[in-house]
Amino acid sequence: MAAMLKCVMSGSQVKVFGKAVQALSRISDEFWLDPSKKGLALRCVNSSRSAYGCVLFSPVFFQHYQWSALVKMSENELDTTLNLKCKLGMKSILPIFRCLNSLERNIEKCRIFTRSDKCKVVIQFFYRHGIKRTHNICFQESQPLQVIFDKNVCTNTLMIQPRLLADAIVLFTSSQEEVTLAVTPLNFCLKSSNEESMDLSNAVYSEMFVGSDEFDFFEIGMDTEITFCFKELKGMLTFSEATHAPISIYFDFPGKPLALSIDDMLVEANFILATLADEQSRASSPQSLCLSQKRKRSDLIEKKTGKNVTGQALECISRKAAPRRLYPKETLTNISALENCGSPAMKRVDGDVSEVSESSVSNTEEVPGSLCLRKFSCMFFGAVSSDQQEHFNHPFDSLARASDSEQDMNNVCCRKEFNRSDAKYFCII
Amino acid sequence: MKFRAKITGKGCLELFIHVSGTVARLAKVCVLRVCPDSLCFGPAGSGGLREARLWCEVRQGAFQQFRMEGVSEDLNEIHLELTAEHLSRAARSAAGASSLKLQLTHKRRPCLTVAVELVSSLGRARSVVHDLPVRVLPRRVWRDCLPPSLRASDASICLPRWRTLRSIVERMANVGDHVLVEANLSGRMTLSIETEVVSIQSYFKNLGNPPKSAVGVPQNRDLESMVQVRVDNRKLLQFLEGQQIHPTTALCNIWDNTLLQLVLVQEDVSLQYFIPAL
Repeated sequence: MAAMLKCVMSGSQVKVFGKAVQALSRISDEFWLDPSKKGLALRCVNSSRSAYGCVLFSPVFFQHYQWSALVKMSENELDTTLNLKCKLGMKSILPIFRCLNSLERNIEKCRIFTRSDKCKVVIQFFYRHGIKRTHNICFQESQPLQVIFDKNVCTNTLMIQPRLLADAIVLFTSSQEEVTLAVTPLNFCLKSSNEESMDLSNAVYSEMFVGSDEFDFFEIGMDTEITFCFKELKGMLTFSEATHAPISIYFDFPGKPLALSIDDMLVEANFILATLADEQSRASSPQSLCLSQKRKRSDLIEKKTGKNVTGQALECISRKAAPRRLYPKETLTNISALENCGSPAMKRVDGDVSEVSESSVSNTEEVPGSLCLRKFSCMFFGAVSSDQQEHFNHPFDSLARASDSEQDMNNVCCRKEFNRSDAKYFCII
Repeated sequence: MKFRAKITGKGCLELFIHVSGTVARLAKVCVLRVCPDSLCFGPAGSGGLREARLWCEVRQGAFQQFRMEGVSEDLNEIHLELTAEHLSRAARSAAGASSLKLQLTHKRRPCLTVAVELVSSLGRARSVVHDLPVRVLPRRVWRDCLPPSLRASDASICLPRWRTLRSIVERMANVGDHVLVEANLSGRMTLSIETEVVSIQSYFKNLGNPPKSAVGVPQNRDLESMVQVRVDNRKLLQFLEGQQIHPTTALCNIWDNTLLQLVLVQEDVSLQYFIPAL
């Protein structure tokens, strides 16, 4: 029995599905189809690993939902379950789910199923009068990634109507990539990122204040200002149009990822975005904060699964690149320096994660033309795999496999970033 | 130097949004001249009249509040250079707002702060603030951004219906780059375009001439004789498509073989667009 997926949807369900695909396309050019007993998950991660999207359709969303995983029987009675490893390109899928309104009106049924023997996904639309449209798309065998992010432990939670967010987004020009969300227990403010405004002398600074009474839910544990890329926010807005459910935002301190979710019983969408780490918070013993967080989480994970935590290394590496102006010395490492650090990092991950120390930080110099001059926390993902042994031996292999294109210079640099050992601290999300 | 102005009322806000939109369509960088009784937009840099240029004046009547203090008592003006698109975007965020405030501020650098008070659909107040970076221009370059003072035009005529004019010029633009604009003081206007292969002419009559047009014209001047100017079609089209106000008065002035001037007036706003002859 091979790993497979088979599901059937009606016209209006296809519209929601198509909107999900469109929303995820804002993050990445590829996504995984990941069926499980919880439902069909569409997952994607962007090339710089600073944004992750997942839309989970529960089994009851579909008219018919069937899935299975491949179970490998082994001698020592440790059966391994291999799920469907299916990665699809947006370029192939987006054109199929175009004109969603007309699809909703005209199709009677849509069937999606996989053919593992041929590494194909088949999408069929059944129209009236016996007309049938079939698409065969080859998929790449690739292990889906997921981020484990516990929304419930976040200090700050907001729930808003999508309309409010849409109104706010319009204020920011497309040339500005980052926005800052500043909250107090009474107030909400979305504004242009200060760092970006400082760099670009001709940039407009905009801010929008909204009273807390405009929110469906407004719980702020502490005054916070966090900065993130809002391109992905637009993706979430696109999807919210399809579900009419409010958007929830979960966040903590700067540096810790922010989650945007929509949950309407049948569909759950989560966008996890990296946020800019604060310089001040770095000075005040972030290491202990992160390590203790990690220990807490690793305890949690260990209790849940009883398996070796390091095998499931879900790491958050904060790139300690300060803006050039303020901290000229502490910027990204030279690529050659990275290569020198390559092997120690590998060893460190194999061992106890909590042993990463300051000494692993290499003296850095500015990399001219370096891509990521901002201190975004990047999320490293564990593979969604029950095969722990495989993961444990080659933790970086699986992460490398998860990256998008080999030729992309961006990715090459990013991968080298992650291989280095000068990350000041590891923390598990 | 101080400047503070406030616009309230749906009509005035919409007009300001259209004005800033028009300026942004026709000029990338503009100069905002704050005068004691008006706000004037002009092109940046001194190109003289060798290129097509837009000037726009918004008189004090468009504002509910208008207070300014210029550079000095005898030079009671402020000249600011800014990116027109920034102002247009900021103004657009005031669509449906209850008020828009303009203020000259200094936040790390000189800014024109646009503060908008919105009322959301649920009746709750929301505020939006934009800080637009501006450059305060030194007095020595002030002369460059004033509209030209010219002798009386050779012919002055009311423009035909805007949509008609625009669609004709649009179609002509597909054929060629130079359009000949002719008008006389008897309400006749002709647009012509000619290439090797085809020639197109559009005749307008009974357009009416503004009353002032007869002033300064010698008595024996033939009212029927056509005054003409050949201009770049694309520039003309840019104005016809880019301008966003709904003028109550729209007229054009022609200086024979020298200059074409289009003038639009709506309430307290006037737009002037000069296109030099080719």
